[in-house]
Amino acid sequence: MAKILDKLLPNSTERILKLRQSLDWVQVEIDALEEKYQTLKNKEIKKFTDKANKALVPSAYKACDKAEYADNVLGEKLQAYDVKNYLKHRAANHKAAKEIFKAIKEGSDYSSALEVLSRSNAAMLEKRDAFVAKLELEKEKFLKSNNSSDNATYESLSKDYILKYEAFRNALDEKYGTMHEAEKAKLEAKAEILQKKIDTEKAKGTSEKTLDDDVILSVKGLKMYFGGLRAVDDLSFDVKKGEIFGLIGPNGAGKTTVFNCITQFYKPTAGELLFTTKDGETITLTDYKVHDIVLKGIARTFQNVEVVKEVSVLDNLLIAATRNYSSSLLVQMLHLPKLKREEKIIRARADKILKYMDLYAYRDRLAWGLPYGVLKRIEIARALMCNPQLVILDEPAAGLNESETHALAEMINKIRVDFDCTVLLVEHDMGLVMSVCDHICAISFGKKLACGTPAEVQSSKEVQEAYLGVGEE
Amino acid sequence: MQQIFAYLQILVGVIPSMCAGILATFAVTLIFKTSYTTNFAQGVISAIGAYVAVEYALVHGYPLWATAIAGIVVAFLIGIVIDVFVFRNGRFVNVLGKQIITMGLISIFIGLIPFVFKLAHYESVPAMPFIRLTDGFRIGGDNGVFIQYNTILALGITLILLVAVFILLQKSKWGLSVRATASNETVAGMMGINTKVITAVSWGIAGAFGAVAAIIYIGNVTLASGYVMTTTQINAFLAGILGGFATFYGPIFGAVIIYLLNVVIGCVCIHVPILSNWKSAIVYLIVMLLVLWKPQGLFGKKMVKKV
Amino acid sequence: MMIKKNKLTSPLFREDADRKSVERKLRFLEKIRKHPTFSFAIFALVLVLMQVLSKAGLVSSSFVTAIGTTVIFCIVALGFCLLLGYSALASLGTAGFIGIGAYSAYYCLVEWDLSIGIAFIVAILAAFVIGIIVGYISLRIEGIYLAIVTLGVAQIIKEVLSAICDTIKIKGSQLTLFGVETMKLKTDHVFYILIAILFVLMVITQNLMNSPTGRAMLAMKNSTSAAQAFGISLLRYRLLAFIISIIYASVAGLLYMMYVRYVSNSSSTLFTLSTSLNILGAVIIGGTKSIWGTIGGTFIIYGIDKMFLQDIDFFRENPTLITLFCGILVVVVVMFYPGGLAQLVMELKYKLTKLSKKIREARYGKDLG
Repeated sequence: MAKILDKLLPNSTERILKLRQSLDWVQVEIDALEEKYQTLKNKEIKKFTDKANKALVPSAYKACDKAEYADNVLGEKLQAYDVKNYLKHRAANHKAAKEIFKAIKEGSDYSSALEVLSRSNAAMLEKRDAFVAKLELEKEKFLKSNNSSDNATYESLSKDYILKYEAFRNALDEKYGTMHEAEKAKLEAKAEILQKKIDTEKAKGTSEKTLDDDVILSVKGLKMYFGGLRAVDDLSFDVKKGEIFGLIGPNGAGKTTVFNCITQFYKPTAGELLFTTKDGETITLTDYKVHDIVLKGIARTFQNVEVVKEVSVLDNLLIAATRNYSSSLLVQMLHLPKLKREEKIIRARADKILKYMDLYAYRDRLAWGLPYGVLKRIEIARALMCNPQLVILDEPAAGLNESETHALAEMINKIRVDFDCTVLLVEHDMGLVMSVCDHICAISFGKKLACGTPAEVQSSKEVQEAYLGVGEE
Repeated sequence: MQQIFAYLQILVGVIPSMCAGILATFAVTLIFKTSYTTNFAQGVISAIGAYVAVEYALVHGYPLWATAIAGIVVAFLIGIVIDVFVFRNGRFVNVLGKQIITMGLISIFIGLIPFVFKLAHYESVPAMPFIRLTDGFRIGGDNGVFIQYNTILALGITLILLVAVFILLQKSKWGLSVRATASNETVAGMMGINTKVITAVSWGIAGAFGAVAAIIYIGNVTLASGYVMTTTQINAFLAGILGGFATFYGPIFGAVIIYLLNVVIGCVCIHVPILSNWKSAIVYLIVMLLVLWKPQGLFGKKMVKKV
Repeated sequence: MMIKKNKLTSPLFREDADRKSVERKLRFLEKIRKHPTFSFAIFALVLVLMQVLSKAGLVSSSFVTAIGTTVIFCIVALGFCLLLGYSALASLGTAGFIGIGAYSAYYCLVEWDLSIGIAFIVAILAAFVIGIIVGYISLRIEGIYLAIVTLGVAQIIKEVLSAICDTIKIKGSQLTLFGVETMKLKTDHVFYILIAILFVLMVITQNLMNSPTGRAMLAMKNSTSAAQAFGISLLRYRLLAFIISIIYASVAGLLYMMYVRYVSNSSSTLFTLSTSLNILGAVIIGGTKSIWGTIGGTFIIYGIDKMFLQDIDFFRENPTLITLFCGILVVVVVMFYPGGLAQLVMELKYKLTKLSKKIREARYGKDLG
């Protein structure tokens, strides 16, 4: 019973996760404040300028080049008239032409129909001429209506307005600046309280394990047995911060199993998995549930793309951000402003990532039936959506052609720099692995063969044997 | 002594339902393993088999053994038809879809029964003509345990069928194919096993087993309706969860445990009559607690899903 | 400063501004019209109109009663839609949870003499507690087990309830608002309450479907591993969907007691498996992911039967015909047309636009503009 209760109630790690989540959200809100006030300001500025425009129009109207202006405006009118009459005329023509064809077919006299056609054409042209004449009249009237008006009034007026505008801007800045500061201070105080809570929660927590400063993920003696099958047997390796680490091996070597152990899809039989989070804390991954791993900054892709096909590409990215929302169920049921605010911020981030991954054209398309290469990119975009420290790519090049693979290699390098994250990848494509990775670990049947730089691994005899078989001598 | 006799009487009374439950459990397990779905229409298909048997014996006056066999054959054929014409043709069907199709089939069969059979819903069915319910013998004097011939017949049929089917599963080529299909359909297909035939025959056999169960059960409760097998069906599914669908024998033991629990609670109810309303609820609760303790079932193995 | 000398607004400036403001207003109206809540409101108003018409003697009162009953089942189906279409879980216990709601209403209003508000709270709480227990046990193992466990739970609820009290009945005098004697609820008042609750639940369901929760559920439905990798706890969201669906069912049961006021457990089929199957059928036929589809499906399964077919002798004598019809539709829809009614309507709409375009082309010639 105690065990069940333990499972039902949140334990210390979960409480910390929860607190951390709200803290993250406060941070996001602080970041978003700038934009919020900018949009508010822009709105007021637009109001002001609209008003100014309206006020300035009469004088500007007097000061402009009359003839050119009249030509423009009246030309537009004529164009609109043409477009409007085109359809009408076309329909009439069509009818008459049909009759003519019919008459030709029957061999009867079609001159009357032809006459009708030409008459309607003539009538149309006449009407147009009348309209043009009317426009000409209008133009004349317009040109006559002004006497020599002065540019000077306009200049002075607009100068006046520019001054007013400056003052207005300053007042606005001051007004919103103080509001901004106040709100920011409030949020920061909230963040501080949360941080304190996390610290006390942590102080209660278990013994600290430490990793070297530059190591982000450390796998020590990892074992994963499925019944009698030893999928991974005593595997150890370290991944350094900011590098691209490749895991290679023949088919069935247990590469994906290692990934699944790291992301807690499998609970390893034995071994230690240590990870350094964003704030330099070292955690044991096996303490966390599979759906909490992403909060610690590990995001992954899948070997056989697992894009949600029923929703749009944008929604796929939003799904990855599910844990970023802090709205409660009630807020979501009633779509209260809090949810709308969060949606706006998260959608903006998703748009940014979509643009970055060159997916913006597919934004509102259903993921159903998109090309394979695009789906792979969506997977990576989705992983980036979680602000990861460590991105795990499971065979990203599988099913891509040569040029796509090349583009992928560039993209992986770019992502590492732009998103400041570490990349861990499993790959069959040797070209990609050797060109991209800083370090490589080669495994076969769950056991480590070699670890080191690409050159070292390539020259290792065991790796050659595993890939090419033992030479017969 | 009197008390013990009362307990034993309850035990004996439960045996026919237990036999029906065990057979239904096997049928459910067979379909779960070959098609990976829970066949909710199992109960209705069995009920139709029983309807054929009872209706032709009572209304048209054929001998019961002949109509019983006819009923079993009909259920067998219905099973095959469902697999061949419905399950195999669904283009977009996933696990949930399969479940829902079996639920839809319940509605179809329930709707059909009044048009096909004259025996209306919930009409009392007289006891089997050649084994009267009241016929039986007593053990232990005048106040002893009364055992009906019906019970012994049911027990005998069930045991024979179970032994036969487990021998078949273990020794015959069909059994091997079923086990192979159950563990991985694709691989079994690659190994040259005609999985389509195997699943179809499994559906047929499940239907036939269900029909036997329903005939035994209807003979016991003397009541015919499309929903008559619902309780047995629920017990069969629960047995599957309790024993774990991973093996063939697990659910059978699960069924035995559930019916024995019923007996125990029934005995307790003699002393605490207030509980009798809550009898099945208590059994259910105990089973649920057992499942909470062992989520994979008492005889189940933990399965690791491939990602 | 934004103003430039040559980029002038026309002498028709005023006209232009007017047009703009009118356009803005139109856009705003369009936005309201396009907003899903608007169509829900229209639907609710149409239903209310039926009651008004019946008072004027234009529509028979049995027709309105049929609508009221169907609306109750619509509420059940809405919850089920969230469960089936968004979380890919099937439950066969719907009837049992309707029973919970109905009996909570009976005990609160008649036996314990409490007010309706408390009855609502009791019904929701009872469903919540049972849902947590049942859901936690069955969903921890696998989604496919939920149907089995709920099937058993419904059967047991029915057995226990009918053993405790077979016939439940509420008298008109016992149904008062806020416990005030003068505020007795007549059947037509309850009808308005029904419509109001349906409207609110439709909006809430729509909101949930378009929220992070709805998206998480869809992710879970499509790929459990992807969902887990992105922080979606399967148990949590499955449990959530299940509990929401049974709370809807429980509320519907309570409303049923308020509206129909009489259920006899042994003779009525309300608490039997057939209700659960009909609700499932309604949601499947309507198209599992759409609110309008669900409402439409319920009106097909329950509405048509209750509103029209009951007047025809043939259908009254063969009540199972509608069950048969429902079953066949379910199997056919799942096998060949998983989008259901919603997809059908969408395709028809598409075809209609195509057709109208063709007609236009035939009349005015092929390329326009």
